[in-house]
Amino acid sequence: MPKVMIYSTPTCVYCKMAKQLFDANGVKYEELNVAEDEKAYEEMKRKSRQSGVPVIDIDGEIFVGFDRRGLLSALKIPG
Amino acid sequence: MQYDLVIVGGGPGGVAAGVYAARKKIKTLLITEDFGGQSLVSADVQNWIGMKSVSGFDLGRMLEEHLRAQEDIDIEVGDRVKEVKDQGEAFAVHTERGKTLETKYLLVVSGSRRRKLGVPGEIEYNGNGVAYCSICDAPLFKGKTVAVVGGGNAGLEAVVDLLPYASRIFLLASSTVKGDPITQAKVKADPKVEIITRAKTQEIIGGESVTGLRYLDTEANIEKKIELQGVFVEIGAEPNSEFIKGLVELNERGEITVDHKTQQSSHPRIWAAGDVSDVLYKQNNISAGDAIKAVLDLYKKISKT
Repeated sequence: MPKVMIYSTPTCVYCKMAKQLFDANGVKYEELNVAEDEKAYEEMKRKSRQSGVPVIDIDGEIFVGFDRRGLLSALKIPG
Repeated sequence: MQYDLVIVGGGPGGVAAGVYAARKKIKTLLITEDFGGQSLVSADVQNWIGMKSVSGFDLGRMLEEHLRAQEDIDIEVGDRVKEVKDQGEAFAVHTERGKTLETKYLLVVSGSRRRKLGVPGEIEYNGNGVAYCSICDAPLFKGKTVAVVGGGNAGLEAVVDLLPYASRIFLLASSTVKGDPITQAKVKADPKVEIITRAKTQEIIGGESVTGLRYLDTEANIEKKIELQGVFVEIGAEPNSEFIKGLVELNERGEITVDHKTQQSSHPRIWAAGDVSDVLYKQNNISAGDAIKAVLDLYKKISKT
């Protein structure tokens, strides 16, 4: 199983869509709320070189925004 | 496989059309990137008839569920149409994932997307202070000064999203503030908000991230500057009609012109509805109704042939 991290805010719709996609495919993930967790926010900015959510890290591959096809292909899930 | 109908889009229009087409047993495929349309990122939709209040995310899920409850429809999610070729009797619909679909009729309900400002700094600072999704990114501007560019409903809603977080919010309108009186009143009542009318944004400036915005006061013809950390762009939409250009007549805004009685475009086998069409009012409920109108009209046509 790849290591999946999602940097999110509680109100972010595209974060919810990404999590919904993970749940539907049985993908486990770690969620970091960057609205509260400043360390995670800095880490997210360093990884993605920008400051908008969601940022998703799949084994070091960084996705900014909700890119269904990109995520599925990084997770090797046929879609 | 050849379809009778391909529906392009998964907003309220696309889903309404899909439900009706399935119930009429028209051999249909619906293709969409996601369900919910532009309301997906709305915190609270209060005018979808039958629902006092629903988030855009939940509205999208309800639409998807309603469509998936239909037996007779094929659904393709996570893809979009790149190009359509008219082969005389049928269309070849090419998707970005490299699929080709064949269909006799087309219903275009592909909606519209956010317009960009087109000023220096906008692209450079996209994601580093420049934002297009206020509900997503508002919590990240806690205690910060931000500007919302756009004096319509979308601009007002972005201000409302930012109210719990930002310490100061400038609302820049190119002429005056328009949009729902209820939201206007809420925004105007908050001392955090300063409304600047007749402001033409000229540049977004910054270092590593945004530090300011320059605009022209078009009344006094003086250039002014605001120091801030965030700019939310909410200046309306442009139609997603590029893939159908050349097959149908578009108006000067790029919207598909339709016969408003039938929703038929200038092409005898293409219908359109919702925000991609030249409908006067861009509303979820209207898109749904107009898209249904299109299906009923094309069904009449299919059953005759």
